[in-house]
Amino acid sequence: MRMQARERTLQAGEEQLKAWMISGLDGDAGAHVALLRALVPLLGAFFRRRLRDAESDVEDLVQETLMSVHTKRATYDRERPFTAWLYAIARYRLIDHVRRRRITVAIEDVEAILVTEGFEGATSARMDVDALLATLSPKQAQAIRATHVDGLSVAEAAEAAGIGASDVKVSVHRGLKALAARLRGDRA
Amino acid sequence: MNTEDLIQSLGHDLRPVPRGALGRRIAQGAIGGGVVTALAVALVLGVRPDLGAALHGFPFWMKWAYTASLGVGAVVAVMRLARPDAARPGVLRWLLVPVLLLAGVGVVELAETPSRAWLAMWLGQSWKVCPWLVLTLAMPIFIGLLWSFRKLAPTRLREAGATAGLAAGAWAATIYCLHCPEVSAIFVLTWYSLGILLAAGVGALVGPRFMRW
Repeated sequence: MRMQARERTLQAGEEQLKAWMISGLDGDAGAHVALLRALVPLLGAFFRRRLRDAESDVEDLVQETLMSVHTKRATYDRERPFTAWLYAIARYRLIDHVRRRRITVAIEDVEAILVTEGFEGATSARMDVDALLATLSPKQAQAIRATHVDGLSVAEAAEAAGIGASDVKVSVHRGLKALAARLRGDRA
Repeated sequence: MNTEDLIQSLGHDLRPVPRGALGRRIAQGAIGGGVVTALAVALVLGVRPDLGAALHGFPFWMKWAYTASLGVGAVVAVMRLARPDAARPGVLRWLLVPVLLLAGVGVVELAETPSRAWLAMWLGQSWKVCPWLVLTLAMPIFIGLLWSFRKLAPTRLREAGATAGLAAGAWAATIYCLHCPEVSAIFVLTWYSLGILLAAGVGALVGPRFMRW
């Protein structure tokens, strides 16, 4: 039974999630519920990786994020990837969560979260990264964005994109190689 | 609450979201605030009596083109920053274009004016109040935009606040043109821009506080 549920989520990659999201925006309640249900394991894994020994916090965060996904769904741009939008909301909920409970969170934990998020560098590097990634194939760009910008694990990125983990690794590897070549070429 | 119950309740009574919902929400807030600003200009400051004649002259349209183009660019940036996955809005760089164009007009103006008249041209009759009036008139529009953002999802709060302030300032200045009789480019470039920047500064200060969600 558990195995089956797991397989179903594995199939709910970017394409499927985006399709549900758009149907939900058009008013299809069934698709909306299916989307939110499929997000539970994705978000659980996302928060669990960043909050050690805090299972109740993980559940709170998953629920808060589901509510944000619901109430802020007008901010989703149908032309853009769904998972990027989703994880941007999840990241905001996480940072907000840490900020609200900063008294109870040890400094190292905050640092760990910020480092995982690439918080400091992200602000200035974001635009360059967007410009560079636009030069790659969509698959490579998505794989690099998921693993290196959004901070997902290879398994999470594979799940989100609905492709195999090795496929993600290969895409990241080739993409980074192409970027490195491009940067060298640009400088020369 | 159980997660499954939460999901069921969120799926209940689901209303469709039309495609342009985000833009419409921002327009509603900005226009709502803009009406208040326009009423304040009309009822408190008064529309300049020679408006009809001014509409036939270059300075009025120069001012309007300057403030309205800043306003359009800032609103586009506000729309980008209203989404959680927003990149830094590159569109703001384009706001330099109207600034440089107006500076160009200013240089021509200075060249055509004897240097002893420069100071009077720069300060006009209202330099002491102009930036403050623009800032004050920006507040209704800024508050309207804050209202818009309650349903939106900015994640760069300081930038979103500053940009909303910038948009509010630029549109407030556009409306203020109906009252303000000043004609020189360097006046507008200095004092209007200062008022608009003050509004952006207020936005940057209060954005993280009022745009949280």
